[in-house]
Amino acid sequence: MRKRTLKRCLTAFWWITLVFLYLPLAVVVLFSFNASNSAASMTGLSLRWYHQLLGNEQIMAAFGNTLVLAICSSVIALVIGCLIGYGMYRHRHRKLGWLIVLIYLPIVLPDIVFGISEMAFFVQFHRLTGLLQPGLGTMVIAHVTFQIPFVALIVYSRFVGLDPTLFEAAKDLYATPVKRVVHFMLPTIKPALISAFFLSFTLSVDDFVISFFTAGPESATLPIYIWGAIKKGVSPEINAIATLMIGAVAIAAAISLLFSRKNQHSRKRQS
Amino acid sequence: MSTNNIAVMGRSQGMVREARHLLFTVAPGALWIVIFLVLPSLYLMAVAFMSNGPYGLPQMPLSLNSFKQLAGVGFLGWSPGNLYTLLRSLWQTLVATGLVVLVAYPLAYYITICRAKWRPIMLLLVVVPSWTNQVIRTFGWMNLLAPGTPLSNAAEVLGFIPPNMGLYPSNFAVTLGLVYNFLPFMVLPLYAAFEKLDTAQVEAAQDLYARPARAFWHAVFPQTLPGLLAGIVLVAIPAFGMYVIPELLGGGKAMMLGNLVATQFSGGSNWPLGAAGAILMLIATFIGLFAMRRIGKRLGGGEEVVI
Repeated sequence: MRKRTLKRCLTAFWWITLVFLYLPLAVVVLFSFNASNSAASMTGLSLRWYHQLLGNEQIMAAFGNTLVLAICSSVIALVIGCLIGYGMYRHRHRKLGWLIVLIYLPIVLPDIVFGISEMAFFVQFHRLTGLLQPGLGTMVIAHVTFQIPFVALIVYSRFVGLDPTLFEAAKDLYATPVKRVVHFMLPTIKPALISAFFLSFTLSVDDFVISFFTAGPESATLPIYIWGAIKKGVSPEINAIATLMIGAVAIAAAISLLFSRKNQHSRKRQS
Repeated sequence: MSTNNIAVMGRSQGMVREARHLLFTVAPGALWIVIFLVLPSLYLMAVAFMSNGPYGLPQMPLSLNSFKQLAGVGFLGWSPGNLYTLLRSLWQTLVATGLVVLVAYPLAYYITICRAKWRPIMLLLVVVPSWTNQVIRTFGWMNLLAPGTPLSNAAEVLGFIPPNMGLYPSNFAVTLGLVYNFLPFMVLPLYAAFEKLDTAQVEAAQDLYARPARAFWHAVFPQTLPGLLAGIVLVAIPAFGMYVIPELLGGGKAMMLGNLVATQFSGGSNWPLGAAGAILMLIATFIGLFAMRRIGKRLGGGEEVVI
């Protein structure tokens, strides 16, 4: 009897927390369709803020920057991180403590310290050599730095999950190391590579603090543009861009749900 | 040459090959992190010990001025502003982490007692808001807590805030924003701990006529402790260095250490002071990690605590 009341309380608590979690997002979506300028009251539905978005060159440029930054940095991080992940697996019996510390460093360092160190470094480097002017280039470098650890850890854990005899078999089957990589290694870790790429991409789009401090005057991304707009005084357009970004996340969530369902089913079939 | 020698040579050649392999796979990433993160942070630490030049850039005579300034010593004598900021950061971190634990603990437990087929969806529902950009989420709270909104009006009627004052900007709004931001980070490790829970211990406690509270304290709580500690690390460390939330929801009177540091760089006013603040943040981070590892090891759950 008491157990049942406990469960009922918990159910209520669960729904309250869900409201808490989704209320701020719902408000943004709702106000993006607001007909009036006011941020405090809804007067009617309209799509005028979305029309304004399309005409706003700054927003379109920021959107382009966000995509270029996320794709470039994820590709570079995928290559470098994948190599490290494999190296960590292959040499896991050695003492690689320093490497582990190095890989965890970008994860544990507070964002603000991360961003400011890079900014101070790039500014001074640019003053001394004239290279690495703050802009998309420096942002890509900074993003790759925080993406590498995640790629490396995902790839490493995929290798650890494999049967070690597979490597022997591949050695017997394929004479050259190149063939081994192309026909055995890459296909087996493909799922890890895909999820590492998507995680890197999401981390890049999600990041604000590190981008903010490494950006140049021409390389604002969407989060940086939104930040600036909020600071200048809230414009209803922000709700519209934010809604589109929330929509992208919702799609990503749906895809990941489908994937996990599929995995569950295939696992069930196997067992 | 004896066969023994060949074997030795073969082995050493193999070792050379292995070493080269290690170099080729690990070196690019390791170098990348060293050049673009370790060197910059070392430079930042050095900046903290330099003196402040014109335009806020660091200059050569080494000095400890930045640390004195951080403690509040300025041109006009001592003022407590920076110390208040430090204390506020600690206090906000403490309160937010505590509240996150209070919300996440029952939530994680509830997810584990629901039907297995719902659990992945429930976890996803908890995590999805944190996939949206931090600036957008915080902007959502600005919309909700601004003066004239239903929540602000309700707080006004109940007498929590003076009229026409909105719930934001305020310290309360910052705490709320922190709890909102970090809730998923606590739910996930706690859920993992609850899922592995050994129910035989709980049954044993019940068989021995332990009252529910006692059974919980002795049979359930210790088992979830590694997850709890992992969650605390994941919440408290980034919360202490938080920049976006206090900047948007707090206003001038709710500044945290992250804002103090950032202003010194973005306004270009005083790099050494900002760097000194960053060092403080680093020290706090490493103390936190180290303490959690120690406690975690004593509990025998050392691996999980390091993420």
